[in-house]
Amino acid sequence: MGEGGIKMKDIMEEPMTSVERVLTAIDLKEPDRVPVWPLIDFLPVYYTDVTAQEMIEDPDKSQEANEWIYHKLGGYDIAMAGGGMYMQYVNPFPDFFSVFYLDWRLPGRMLDKNASPQLFEQSLTDPFMTENDYDRIIEEGLLWLANFRRASMKDMRKLGKIGEKVKENTVKWWTEFQVPTFNDGAAIPPFDLLSVFRGSTNFMKDIYRYPDKIKEVSDFLIDNLILMGEYGISMSGGKTILVGAARASADFISIKHFEELFWPYFKKMVSRYVNDGFIVQLHMDTNWTDRLHYLRELPKGKIYMHMDERTDIFKAKEILGDHMCIQGNLKPSLFTLGTPAMVEKQTKEIIDKCAEGGGLFVGSEIPDNAKLENVKTMIDTCKTYGKYRK
Amino acid sequence: MSIKDDLMLAVVELEEQKSYSLVKKLLDESTNPQEIIEILRKGVEVIGEKFNKKEYFLTELVMAGEIFQQSAKILEPALKQEAQSDKQAAAVVVGTVKGDVHDIGKNIFVTLLQSAGFDVYDLGVDVPPEEFVEKVKETNAVVVAYSGLLTIALETMQETTEALKSEGLRDKVKIIIGGLPVDEMWMKKAGADAFTDNAFEGVNIITKWVKEG
Repeated sequence: MGEGGIKMKDIMEEPMTSVERVLTAIDLKEPDRVPVWPLIDFLPVYYTDVTAQEMIEDPDKSQEANEWIYHKLGGYDIAMAGGGMYMQYVNPFPDFFSVFYLDWRLPGRMLDKNASPQLFEQSLTDPFMTENDYDRIIEEGLLWLANFRRASMKDMRKLGKIGEKVKENTVKWWTEFQVPTFNDGAAIPPFDLLSVFRGSTNFMKDIYRYPDKIKEVSDFLIDNLILMGEYGISMSGGKTILVGAARASADFISIKHFEELFWPYFKKMVSRYVNDGFIVQLHMDTNWTDRLHYLRELPKGKIYMHMDERTDIFKAKEILGDHMCIQGNLKPSLFTLGTPAMVEKQTKEIIDKCAEGGGLFVGSEIPDNAKLENVKTMIDTCKTYGKYRK
Repeated sequence: MSIKDDLMLAVVELEEQKSYSLVKKLLDESTNPQEIIEILRKGVEVIGEKFNKKEYFLTELVMAGEIFQQSAKILEPALKQEAQSDKQAAAVVVGTVKGDVHDIGKNIFVTLLQSAGFDVYDLGVDVPPEEFVEKVKETNAVVVAYSGLLTIALETMQETTEALKSEGLRDKVKIIIGGLPVDEMWMKKAGADAFTDNAFEGVNIITKWVKEG
């Protein structure tokens, strides 16, 4: 990589540290400038010799790569601890990213060492659970769904050792660099978990055929799923927990099904994490615009929510601006296909319409082959144009 | 209300079991199976309108597809007896491009295309360019539909169009791309003729192309 790690001057030039800036924005107040959060997973793989496999399995190399990209882009406000992705994928508990429970193909295992992970849903022909298995879950829990072919007991035994490294890296970001990490732990509500186990097409039919079964299993699972997420944070030593939801939005289900099968469980999960003192990062992919008002029922000032471009961020500012910190509207492919001028224009529009009063991050998921100048333009625009003038 | 009206209503209201028993009942009463298929198609069309008005969502489309396909299965023996002299349906080749395995939207699109009467060749997911090319040659398809969700899929969409070009097939087919992220930028880059993130709209675009010949 050659250009060395992070220089303290990268961090110290501005009035606030990233930790202060991010926490102020979550607290719905105005920091020195709008925080900027590029959600970077495998971007360094495209630009350096680190492999995608190392990004997951080697906490030292992935920390080095994460520091390299942070430095290369001139610094941003939320980063990823090296090795964090190992905890995410080799998760012994049933989570969306766990290779033991879902057919994730990982680099260097079932994919090329530089390929990004992909989830195979096997949606129609061979689902992980059949429609008869709802009862089995209530009788036996979820362990029978685990499959040790995609990763082994050896991988699981490495969890403790890698966990220690992740903890070190997390502390390094928070204290030495004063940059918060994201994704210290993760959880998903029963609705999304059942949907991936069944395959989403099958699950959509189940919603019509067996709504009561889905409710019964969700009631059974919710407390355990909450605890599993908390266990994940304790392993990584972080403070933030990601709660992801993508399949109960207006791109998938009606408000009636949302209210019956998703919202009560999601609300319970998020509220519990906030009450237990964690910062919750909601990762809400797909289009939630018509159900944003439900999110006002969640605790105020303790949550930051990432939305993709399918949700209308300007509506979100209107509905949730005084309630939770939001981020969204920038389309990932903009960073691959777009130009710096396009990125600048869109970033400024978000700042113009959503920055007032705080409670805004600017950011997007960054594709693994994004152009660096596009990502840097988003960051630089936040550092200059995104200043709050008092 | 006649049984035919009942069937139409049951389909639109997504009452699955009721729909099947009404299909059987109509068959028992010697209704022409083609006519029953038409009722089902109309039902799916109404569901599409409700979807566009945001009264229905993807789940409802999946159920509509399921009801249509299961009903078609019930009707299959009777339809075969009819030995339909229908005009040849236009062929459409569909697949999620190489490097991407997302298929929820693609599967719904395929069902809706079938219910609209097209001759659909679904190549599945992670489909390499040469497979698209081969299928187009084999079926004389007039439309090719690429699906994709990942940004990486855009590259293989481009490659697939290039492959069609180098085989001299590009002028013989229209290309439409589909998936949540696709937009005009994607369409141009992929060398396609249309894009959509809405399965019904996709079917309408293709229907229009085929009508215009």
